[in-house]
Amino acid sequence: MDIFTISLWIITIIWFAVSIFKDKKKTFNSIKMSSGMMRNMIGEIIGILFLIGLILTFIPPETIKKYLGQSNIFLSTVISAFLGSITLIPAFVAFPLVGSLVNAGASIVPIVAFLTTLTMVGIVTFPLERREFGFKFALVRNLLSFGFAVIIALLMGVVM
Amino acid sequence: MFLTVIIFTYIFLLIFMTDKGIKSFSNSLYYVKEMVIIMPVILLLTSLIEAWVPKKTIENALGEGSGVKGFLFSFLLGSFSAGPIYAAFPVCKTLMKKGASIANIVIILSAWAVIKIPMLANESKFLGPEFMMARWVFTVISILIMSIITSKIVKKEDLPTDIKEENKDAVLRVDEHFCIGCGLCTKLSPDDFVMVNKKAKVNRKVSKEEENEKIKQAMDKCPAKAIDYV
Repeated sequence: MDIFTISLWIITIIWFAVSIFKDKKKTFNSIKMSSGMMRNMIGEIIGILFLIGLILTFIPPETIKKYLGQSNIFLSTVISAFLGSITLIPAFVAFPLVGSLVNAGASIVPIVAFLTTLTMVGIVTFPLERREFGFKFALVRNLLSFGFAVIIALLMGVVM
Repeated sequence: MFLTVIIFTYIFLLIFMTDKGIKSFSNSLYYVKEMVIIMPVILLLTSLIEAWVPKKTIENALGEGSGVKGFLFSFLLGSFSAGPIYAAFPVCKTLMKKGASIANIVIILSAWAVIKIPMLANESKFLGPEFMMARWVFTVISILIMSIITSKIVKKEDLPTDIKEENKDAVLRVDEHFCIGCGLCTKLSPDDFVMVNKKAKVNRKVSKEEENEKIKQAMDKCPAKAIDYV
């Protein structure tokens, strides 16, 4: 285990102990709620993890490197941002997937664009957002998020 | 559904291209192992945040002219929440009725989407702490700029006004668009809520007059604020 994961475990376990000590019922009620949420995702999580194996076996790293690493970065970034906007998978399962692509040689710029639009821009959830906040708000927020996702991605490419 | 396709692909491979199947499986194992290490701690962390972060105090400090404090609290609220972005819509709607500004709503929605604490832990696990922190910094700055731009373009008048009339015939309902299927309401009030296809439903007709403590608690605790009388 890396140092980050270990410290996360330690902090969480201490907090958990304090939480049980202070209010046992409250603690277990919210654990029940989160595990309910998790249970809905578990199929997707397992599916994605085993999809990663298939990708790594059948798509050679050279291909990943070629399309997500060396070719026109700006173009692949905009395409990734668009893919992220229409995809509806929880970020939780997206991280191992994109992590495996980065390990295989993908550039982080399109990867960051995908991650950011995946969660912040929602074409599928657009009708819901419009219903709650009106057309103008939903349009402005989604367009700005798309633009900034590309900017964040390019900046990440500069610093990393 | 998705999982079924993956399983069949593996069965097919193991029969016809055994070596590729085994290779895929062993490629995946590393990621499975990493996920098993990080998942329980994320689950626990999400629960603890849900139980102990005083969201009510935060929500009451978001009005017009709340300034820097409002921005900060919006970031906190979004960062310490659970569930996908559309689970944030009804929460923000409620906040707007309480007077939260447009800029603060944009911050909450965006922070809710990208910079939730448990998700940052997961990102750091699979992409490295430096990656996570750099993206966090850029994202926070971007969200701040976006919220200011949005509040300049979109005014409160542009938002739909649907102040609900007190409807005497209104019955208790779970909005299926927003329900995230956590099942909390079925545990708090098992007589009134059931799970159907991973979504909560009210299993009998309940009018406002029949409201009891259990229903009230379920409405209040629902992480997506999806339970209401319509």
